[in-house]
Amino acid sequence: MVVEQTKLPTGVSHAKSNGMNENIDHTQLSEWLNQVADKRCKIAFTHLFKFFAPKIQRIARSKFPNEAQSHEVVQETMSNVWRKAHLFDANKGAATTWVYTVMRNVTFDLLRKVKSNREDNLSDDIWPIAEGAVTEDQAYEDHLESNQLLRVIDALPEAQQQVVKGFYLMEMSQEQLANHLNLPLGTIKSRLRLALAKLKVQLGEEND
Amino acid sequence: MIKHHPKFELLQSYVNGELPASLAIGISIHADMCPECQHSIAQLTEQVAEHSFEEAPVRLDDLKSDSFTSFSDDIAEDDLFESMISNITFNDDADVVTEALKREVVFRDKTYELPTALSRIELGKAANIGKLSRSRLQLNEDEIHSSLLHINPGGGVPAHTHKGFELTVLLDGSFTDSRGEYNKGDFILLDGTFTHNPVSQNGCLCYTVANDALHFTQGINKLLNPIGSFIY
Ligand SMILES: [Zn+2]
Repeated sequence: MVVEQTKLPTGVSHAKSNGMNENIDHTQLSEWLNQVADKRCKIAFTHLFKFFAPKIQRIARSKFPNEAQSHEVVQETMSNVWRKAHLFDANKGAATTWVYTVMRNVTFDLLRKVKSNREDNLSDDIWPIAEGAVTEDQAYEDHLESNQLLRVIDALPEAQQQVVKGFYLMEMSQEQLANHLNLPLGTIKSRLRLALAKLKVQLGEEND
Repeated sequence: MIKHHPKFELLQSYVNGELPASLAIGISIHADMCPECQHSIAQLTEQVAEHSFEEAPVRLDDLKSDSFTSFSDDIAEDDLFESMISNITFNDDADVVTEALKREVVFRDKTYELPTALSRIELGKAANIGKLSRSRLQLNEDEIHSSLLHINPGGGVPAHTHKGFELTVLLDGSFTDSRGEYNKGDFILLDGTFTHNPVSQNGCLCYTVANDALHFTQGINKLLNPIGSFIY
């Protein structure tokens, strides 16, 4: 059965988005953020912290099973606010929107780390917090490393290559490989071990 | 022109950060090319931000006093927060930002620039069958598989069915199936089991996400029946 895509109605009314919330003093928050950016003002930061931290803590507590993780979200989010305040542009949106984005990104990366055991911190690529810019990091090296890895795999003896490729690139289990290649499970395991030892040496050498 | 967009609910989950990385990436790629969805996302983000930070209204005047009493009722938490503030502000350095790195991929001698959302994700080596090439994106999301799928001019995907969902975002070029033509930027999410046979006259590059329920039970058959498992 085909479920059709619903096209977004172009005239959706967002009554609320235009009327700013009266409980939040947006001008004041923006001012503090600018003081943090321009003057590294700790007093302004403390005001921001007192306003946002308890709320972030409460929101994070509903998404993570333990308190330590929700504290990590507070710490990381507010730390990003301190270090990235210069990326905030009051002409583009409210301070709350910007801090929300920072918090959502931190939460996403931490949840991904907990669930998928990945520390790839993809959030700033998915939801850029500054237009056309990314924070400087190791990104490109990782990419190069994976190309290098593939090259090294291709240099392995055929028998080991088969096992490594099946296991890592085709995502087969060791048992599936044993069946597929018609070999005892022990042989698969030792070939994989041998290949990995070789890869380690090769990659180590290439990195030096 | 883009004709196919994510549903409103999906944009909402995207803004809330509730989608798996693979789907969030699909929406990010689409929004990059679609001003209409960009606009909706901006509005939704503003709304959810307001909502998140408005509860239990705190008067800013109270915050300006030096006492931390308005922080919370929990003394231990006050201490924790105070130590966080001094830890964070101990170092004055601000983050240096640079232009986003543009990453390119080559499929069958044609070079494509990847969207920012894909700029750092490890890519598996391309596997080729006929006019199709596929590179797996290493997102590590269990049964959800994400790939780049390239179709050479005149190529197509043999008729196939799916359990679960199948997302295709067209990064470049176009393809057609029985329901019509799809162009660069189109976001095509299909639920349920159905059959289709996409064909690309002039070639195309797609970002694809699928959770194939058969993934685990097929086992070794995947290799004997390469086409079936090759795509997703
Ligand atoms: Zn759109």
